[in-house]
Amino acid sequence: MSRGYPESRTRDLVAQLRRQLGENDPNPPRQPLPEVAFPPVRVFPSPRRRSALAEAAAAHTTALVGIGAVGTRYATDVVLQFQAELAVAHGAVAAELPGDWAESKGYFPLISRVTSHREFLLRPDLGRRLSEASAAKWAAECKKDVDVQPILADGLSAVATQGAGPELMGGFIAECERRGWKVGTPCCAKFARVWLEDEIGQLARAKVAVILLGERPGLGTGDGLSAYLVFNPKLGNTDGNRNMMSNIHARGIPPADAAKRLAVLAQLMLEQGTSGVALDLAPRAAELGEAAKGGYRKPEPRTRLVEV
Amino acid sequence: MKLSATIRGNSYTFRSVKEVLARANPPKSGDDLAGVSARDPVERVAARAVLSQLTLGELRANPVVPYEQDELTRLVEDNLDEGAFNAVKHLSVGQFREWLLEPTTTGQKLRSVAPGLTPEMAAAACKLMSNMDLMVVGAKCEVVVRCNNTLGLPGTLSSRLQPNHPTDDVQGILYSAREGLVYGCGDAVIGVNPATDTPESTAEILRALGDLRARNGIPTQQCVLSHVIVQMKALALDCPMDLMFQSFAGSESANRAFGISVALMDEAYDLMRRKKSSTGPNFMYFETGQGNALSSDAHHGADQVTMEARCYGFARRYKPFLVNTVVGFIGPEYLEDGPQITRAGLEDHFMGKLMGLPMGCDACFTYHAKMSQDELESLKVLLGAAGCTYLMSMPVGDDIMLNYQSSSFHDIPSVRSLVKKSPAPEFDAWLAARGISSGHTPGERLGDVSVLR
Amino acid sequence: MPVLEPILPRVLAVRRLPGADPALLRAYGADPERHTSLALVTVDQDDPTYVALDEATKHARVDVVYARSFYAGSRHASGPHSGEILGVLASDDPSEIDSAIEVLLRTLAHDACFYGANADSSIAVFPHVIASLGHYLSAQAGLRAGEPMAYLVAPPLEATYALDFALKAADVRLVKAFPPPTETNFAASWLTGDLPACEAAAMAFAEAVVDVARSPRDR
Repeated sequence: MSRGYPESRTRDLVAQLRRQLGENDPNPPRQPLPEVAFPPVRVFPSPRRRSALAEAAAAHTTALVGIGAVGTRYATDVVLQFQAELAVAHGAVAAELPGDWAESKGYFPLISRVTSHREFLLRPDLGRRLSEASAAKWAAECKKDVDVQPILADGLSAVATQGAGPELMGGFIAECERRGWKVGTPCCAKFARVWLEDEIGQLARAKVAVILLGERPGLGTGDGLSAYLVFNPKLGNTDGNRNMMSNIHARGIPPADAAKRLAVLAQLMLEQGTSGVALDLAPRAAELGEAAKGGYRKPEPRTRLVEV
Repeated sequence: MKLSATIRGNSYTFRSVKEVLARANPPKSGDDLAGVSARDPVERVAARAVLSQLTLGELRANPVVPYEQDELTRLVEDNLDEGAFNAVKHLSVGQFREWLLEPTTTGQKLRSVAPGLTPEMAAAACKLMSNMDLMVVGAKCEVVVRCNNTLGLPGTLSSRLQPNHPTDDVQGILYSAREGLVYGCGDAVIGVNPATDTPESTAEILRALGDLRARNGIPTQQCVLSHVIVQMKALALDCPMDLMFQSFAGSESANRAFGISVALMDEAYDLMRRKKSSTGPNFMYFETGQGNALSSDAHHGADQVTMEARCYGFARRYKPFLVNTVVGFIGPEYLEDGPQITRAGLEDHFMGKLMGLPMGCDACFTYHAKMSQDELESLKVLLGAAGCTYLMSMPVGDDIMLNYQSSSFHDIPSVRSLVKKSPAPEFDAWLAARGISSGHTPGERLGDVSVLR
Repeated sequence: MPVLEPILPRVLAVRRLPGADPALLRAYGADPERHTSLALVTVDQDDPTYVALDEATKHARVDVVYARSFYAGSRHASGPHSGEILGVLASDDPSEIDSAIEVLLRTLAHDACFYGANADSSIAVFPHVIASLGHYLSAQAGLRAGEPMAYLVAPPLEATYALDFALKAADVRLVKAFPPPTETNFAASWLTGDLPACEAAAMAFAEAVVDVARSPRDR
């Protein structure tokens, strides 16, 4: 303490005495060790009741409210429900379209420039272009000068594609054929992003390209499909050139309904010669229903995933 | 200015300060996507070595987007506090890092030099710091702001209550809001991301939240996070707007993709100053996030950490009440996994605080990013320990409108009790009067919605 | 915490009165014909302050006109700035008052202080050696200015017990004893001799107080 102030004799003397006493830098005084108590005869958590609020809220929102708390944390059944929903979402993202799946369903198989699932997540630019081999084969063999080019793709959920994909694709093609349109070779693209429809449609010289692909999963919902439509598909189109419909699955817009509405959107594009922000939905608003309003997710009952 | 370094006989030379900044960045998938990251770990360290020798004065003279090309660069350059800048301009980035870490460099001192720092300086320091360095300095920064209540006081951790709803059903929004309040959430703001971006729905949600606040006397503020132009129109509709919101990016061209400019924000700020329903001197709310410039191809060849810091240079013009980085929302092509998202959250908090902003963080991931729930919970505790001003909160952390995973109502009292931090004092008193919690200790009525009217 | 850690005195309030009213000067023991200016100081430790006031008289032309300890000490103070002593210095020159305050503060910060005789410093000891007395304490002690003095303070039993060790440690003589109770309920003694003797006595005093602190009941 006295270092730097040699004028204090007393400070120096006391420091010296402290050293003499062996007290210069001793350990702090020891505290008694805590005693381990005898265990109680039995322990229980406090009884928990499901809040009435949860029931009332369910009519208005899918948010998990009224779930109570254990201290500041979740009850065990909430944890399990949550983990199950998260596992479903992660499972859907991780799933890959099997190599032979497209052909087994009778689709022309295509693949983007992406070579692995990780690369697919990290390089959206590569997912927007066909591999050279795919592009060459598609250019050589696909039907040309078509009205509508339907494309099925994995997007961010191969689970959704393999689920409702064929039904939506088949339904949409049937709607197109019913209207007397020339429909392009049905194809299925792996590692595909939305903008891949530009190159596929351009090579087929299609008036309208429609890509149906698995949408980014939400908690507990890995099976939703989205559709993006573009008039005059060509490399260089942006999102402003496209129309979209999301939430296509059994609990959202059922595939059969979605197929009809997509055909109506394609019809508007063929009639008006444009798409995206420039497309006027009003002439066929009644036929579009929900699709005219955009792509909002309606509240739907949260599925209970864990039953013990 | 020396732009080369030698490591084990291999010499590394860089073409520009911008390239040094980019190559010095820890690995980020977004920098790989932009093609600006270091080619290997040794080159990364070489870039850091070069960066450590550059002075803050040299960084000011070399913004990553030229003065002539970008209004954000001009805004920062023309408004820099010369007195504060003179205090630090002679320091190399390496010395600056050490000065930041010195125990005698107090929060007060840090706040006093903040107006003299350019975004590039904050980003440069960041690149020389480990995660714990970022936390230690972040925790020292003191940025105190006031709207209806006071945020950022030492020993506090606040939260935004985020009761989003996929169809803006007001009843649904209120159910989530009420639930959050009784877990001690919402002292930063009760803020809704609307599904429908119209003035009418913005005003309707604001009225419903204002009513909930008035009925219960809740000392906080409400906000609807629609586009700033929509909110300006909503102000004409007679609704209680306490905070005005906008998302920011780090360059003029990136902000054009967001539909904003400095002139528009100046106009919005001025309108809000006259029409706001709140009381304090701070009434703007901004959100940012690494990668948002690249996503509109407006990054000018700079790395995403530096572009993020430039958002803060823009934000500080408006003395905001809240700024937060929505760190994991943008997806794995910018931040691939748990370690990258964690790092980015700590970086953004540090840089924002260093530049004098009340920095919060939306610790979150989308379901296609490689991050586990456990990693996300760890990040919330790290942010709490690093002195983050506020976290988000929603039912089980699940945003049913935006489909991503963030902090939950339950996480807020948990982190508060772990890192011994209290809500904003006004809100803390309101919670204590209802038995919900007191300071960082949960109360008897935690989670009990019946305490609300 | 090791024992004999310094317990630093806290200066609680300082005020100057450059032209004090003659009535006030008289009431606090100053002489209006010789004194015009006062310095007032309160500190939370009394004995270091007496030493510091005395030190001030050696370096500035001032008199200590008033210095009293408060009943029961600083833990029972009448207010947050009361502490356990009020000291009043007087001079005819305000600049002398300024230098005196500077010396007083420096002495309190770097020299005179109590020390903890046990780990948590709940027992305090003041084994202070003054190499050269000023004219304030020398007058109080009946010694000459410039003489050395050991100024020894501790709680009642400790002080009494340790005084015996101090007196036997070297060739010193007891100048004045202050048995308990005093204002602060400590006990004190002043010893003189040559400087090495005063130092040996003070350290013997400190050691004996530490010894009582370690085993208060018996050995």
